[in-house]
Amino acid sequence: MSSDEIIASDDPRAQALDAALARALSPPALPLGFQLRLQAALARASAGPGSRAASRTHAQREQRERMAELDADYLRLRRRTLGTLIGGAFAAGAAVAVVLPWLQASFGANAIYVLASAGALLGIGIGTASWIGRVRIPNPFERF
Amino acid sequence: MQSAPADAAAQDRDIVALLQGGVPEAAFQRTLARYQDKVYRLCCTLLRDPTAAEDAAQESLVRIWKAMGSYDGRASLSTWIYAITRNRCLTAIARRRELASLSDAAVEAEAEAQVQEVDAGGSEPQDMSATLRELVDLLPERYRRTLLLFYYEDRSVSEVASMLGMPEGTVKTSLFRARAALAEQLRRRGLDDPRDWLEAGR
Repeated sequence: MSSDEIIASDDPRAQALDAALARALSPPALPLGFQLRLQAALARASAGPGSRAASRTHAQREQRERMAELDADYLRLRRRTLGTLIGGAFAAGAAVAVVLPWLQASFGANAIYVLASAGALLGIGIGTASWIGRVRIPNPFERF
Repeated sequence: MQSAPADAAAQDRDIVALLQGGVPEAAFQRTLARYQDKVYRLCCTLLRDPTAAEDAAQESLVRIWKAMGSYDGRASLSTWIYAITRNRCLTAIARRRELASLSDAAVEAEAEAQVQEVDAGGSEPQDMSATLRELVDLLPERYRRTLLLFYYEDRSVSEVASMLGMPEGTVKTSLFRARAALAEQLRRRGLDDPRDWLEAGR
């Protein structure tokens, strides 16, 4: 339908106003980048709720697997620590049983103090090494 | 040679045929080519804000794409597309009102600024096109929308009626009243000579 049906053709004022409006009111053009943003929006929409649900299930399964691995590692670490402690205690007892006769022969009544001091020094050494490792102090002996 | 409305109807029939033939992707691509400009113009007209219009147009087109498979042909394709677009715009307007109600002071300040802007514009000489656009913006909303879409859509009453979801008779009445109001405003500004009006855009 043309504007002639709206405007009486014999009314020059109406025709002039129609022409003026046609010139003044130009349609807005699509903004720059509209197509790109629309394609992105369509791609996001095509992911859809079904796909999002699948992603969530996948992420939950991954999280469960990771938690199970962490639990297994923790248990392994505790077992290893316990094993080290028991093994260390047996090794220390064996070492004392082997070394004590020699110490008694060398130091007499003071052998027990010497043994205690050696144990204390060993403990301090192990503690210090552990502390150096934890606070990441450069180890001066590392290069040797 | 086919007339423009017949050509448009044929294009819509092709799109519907593609949909019924089970190729919604191709149907949507043709829909985009034919309607994306019109959807954006309708959003611009209803929302009066290019940024909000772009958002609403994109949301509308995404919805159209999602719902393409469920189009049953009861309404014409254009009516269906424009109804989705209008609904998105109405949602955007409602959301904007909710936000505005949270900040009455800001809204008042903005309204005050707009009034001052209009006052300032009225005292300075400006070209006829700018005057016309300003007067169109001051028209009652239903007249403004009808008038803008009428000229955006190559003066097609049926297209405007479809876009706004109203009968063609109502569109014609709105156009008639909008023009009468504009002519009266021009007369009040001392621009009563039709030769002045034809200076618009020159």
